[in-house]
Amino acid sequence: MNSVDEAPSMRVVLIEDEKQIRRFVGMALAAERWQVFEADTARQGLSEVGTRRPDLVILDLGLPDGDGIDVVRDIRGWSSVPVLILSARPHEQDRVAALDAGADDFLTKPFGVSELMARVRALLRRTRSGTVQQQQLSFGTVVIDMASRVVRRDDAVVHLTPIEYRLLSVLISNAGRVMTHRHLLREVWGPSHASDHHYLRVYMTALRRKLEVDPTRPRHFITEAGVGYRFCIEPW
Amino acid sequence: MTTPSANPGPGTQPAGSDPERKPWRATLGASACVILATLATAPWQDTLGRTNSVMLLLLSAVLAAYRFGPGPGLVAAVLSVVCFDFFYVPPRGSLSVHDLDFTVTFVVMLGVAVLVGQLTARLRFQAMVAHERERRMRALFEMSRDLSSVLTLEQTADISNRYLARLFDVEPGLLLLDNADGLVGAPGCSLPAQADVGIARWSLEHNAGAGIGTDTQPSAPALYVPLKAPMRTRGVLVLVPRSETWRLNPEQRRLLDTTAALIAIALERIHFITIAQDAVVHMESERLRNSLLAALSHDLKTPLTVLAGLADSLNLAGPPLAPAQADIAESIREEALRTSTLVMNLLEMARLQAGNVRLNREWQPLEEVVGVALQARAAMLAAHTVRVDLPATLPLVEFDTLLMERALCNLLENAAKYTPTGSTIEIAARSLGPWIEISIADDGPGLPAGNENQLFEKFTRGQGESSSGGVGLGLSIVRAVVEAHNGNVKAENRATGGACITLRLPAGTPPDTPLEEP
Repeated sequence: MNSVDEAPSMRVVLIEDEKQIRRFVGMALAAERWQVFEADTARQGLSEVGTRRPDLVILDLGLPDGDGIDVVRDIRGWSSVPVLILSARPHEQDRVAALDAGADDFLTKPFGVSELMARVRALLRRTRSGTVQQQQLSFGTVVIDMASRVVRRDDAVVHLTPIEYRLLSVLISNAGRVMTHRHLLREVWGPSHASDHHYLRVYMTALRRKLEVDPTRPRHFITEAGVGYRFCIEPW
Repeated sequence: MTTPSANPGPGTQPAGSDPERKPWRATLGASACVILATLATAPWQDTLGRTNSVMLLLLSAVLAAYRFGPGPGLVAAVLSVVCFDFFYVPPRGSLSVHDLDFTVTFVVMLGVAVLVGQLTARLRFQAMVAHERERRMRALFEMSRDLSSVLTLEQTADISNRYLARLFDVEPGLLLLDNADGLVGAPGCSLPAQADVGIARWSLEHNAGAGIGTDTQPSAPALYVPLKAPMRTRGVLVLVPRSETWRLNPEQRRLLDTTAALIAIALERIHFITIAQDAVVHMESERLRNSLLAALSHDLKTPLTVLAGLADSLNLAGPPLAPAQADIAESIREEALRTSTLVMNLLEMARLQAGNVRLNREWQPLEEVVGVALQARAAMLAAHTVRVDLPATLPLVEFDTLLMERALCNLLENAAKYTPTGSTIEIAARSLGPWIEISIADDGPGLPAGNENQLFEKFTRGQGESSSGGVGLGLSIVRAVVEAHNGNVKAENRATGGACITLRLPAGTPPDTPLEEP
């Protein structure tokens, strides 16, 4: 990991009440040269986030002294640090609530180390690329020229409708994040359509048919069932 | 003389006095009044003087009018003049008059007696009407007050019967709709023997009165009044009169309609109270169930997460593992993840089994959920060929994403588990009239012939004591999910070999999809 030597070590605050989970998550992060600060309560976690100025927060939703969703809301009040949610609850509403409150991604327990590190890298890539507008973006065999709004797949121009293009650009600018249905609907159609989930699904299916190699096995336009969508530039 | 009895009986007759019902008796009574007055004063007429006697006779005529009404009062007025002439005016004992002066007396006397008598009678009639109306209003008010606080059907029936008996002099009964829309007697109250459920049903269905005094079955021994509430008709009132000549005048008819409306509203209120209570109980139990399952899920998944995570971390903790050790670590991790799937299935089954699962149904393309299931089971399907055939023209389908994902995952898992490596699994869907049919077929060994659909029973496994893992919950969850969506599922062997499981979901009416100019 040469790049790590050049850059100062990245910091992560890990808020999780289960000691053994802290242990292996901490080990996995430390193995990639992350500096890990652990907290086992919401209160301690918030103060760690405040003092350590981390590059990433990993947060368990079920904490003994408060709801993880409130922690996300609190952090979003003063920081835009990426937040990765860990959730063991079977209901997707909690995940949706946490994402709507400002979390960037979630992992459902049980998860493996490789899954965890893939999410962490994706979130980090997103922060690093920042808001710099790229001239050209490519994923798979698709190339998008942002300035001329031309989408090519295998060197052939793909025609996208205005809404499809708007949906695609919202997804691209949030690449790596999980976007809830509500969030996407608001961005693309406006607040009055925030509950017309089938609009979004129909357009997402259309985008997949136009841009994915196999629309039933998408590699870039990933469905997070019951929650929303994630656009990945590089599939994991 | 006559003390006016102000009680006209228990409201059975039109507003008016009792004697009016038998005119000849009233006339007789009025005449008796005057005759009595005459007989009482005549012997002392010399002491009393004619003037005073005239006054007394006048008084008797007025009182008679007051007590017996205007008609008999007229008779009394005339009679009082005749009596005066006969007993007081010379020659006494004869109707002939010698002194013409008395003609004026007669005329004035008749005039005063008629005028005052008629006015008095009318005043009394109006007072009685007012009294009667007030009595009914009070009863109506008391009934509405009592009805406003009832919480059960028994109380409603009790109050309605009590007031109906009091207001209309009838033997009342109350027929209510049961859950199957049949008419049954209200709980806790007996029906009058003469009540005919057939006529009551007619009244309910046509939303009109029947029986006595109506156009339908006027010869029936009872009156049937539908209980019309704002939302629907809630039952029928049965009134069996206690007397032969019972009739309702228009005012009473209106009163009866008001009473019926009050009872109907009370019944409707109770209906909605019951619905609200059921909803609260249902919500509470679902909330409790969900939080219990969430807690269970959390408690079971946490150690499994730790197990999988720590197995992964073995490599990170120290020097790289030997291939055999790495393999063991990988097995630990896989078993932990598999156990987690099992736990999820068990919890899902518990939730579905509890019934009344609230589905989070949304219209969506089938393609998406198939993609999610394929993604989730990618590792398991790595050694199989999966072909997906979803026509682009397939309409949107309404289902709960997560439940359908679980069902499809279980089907794919099943197909992967019971077919040899390299087999082909085909997922197809088509629109079939009112159904959307989804099939998952394989070219493996197929299902045991004869009892294909037994697979959907809990804890049934296809191949006896096979070494494949799982307790056979997978397919019963598939069935529970599909049935919760009002669909059905069947399993069969394909003619070309291999198993095919077909799900049918209702097609319904998909919402308009947004169209835009290309």
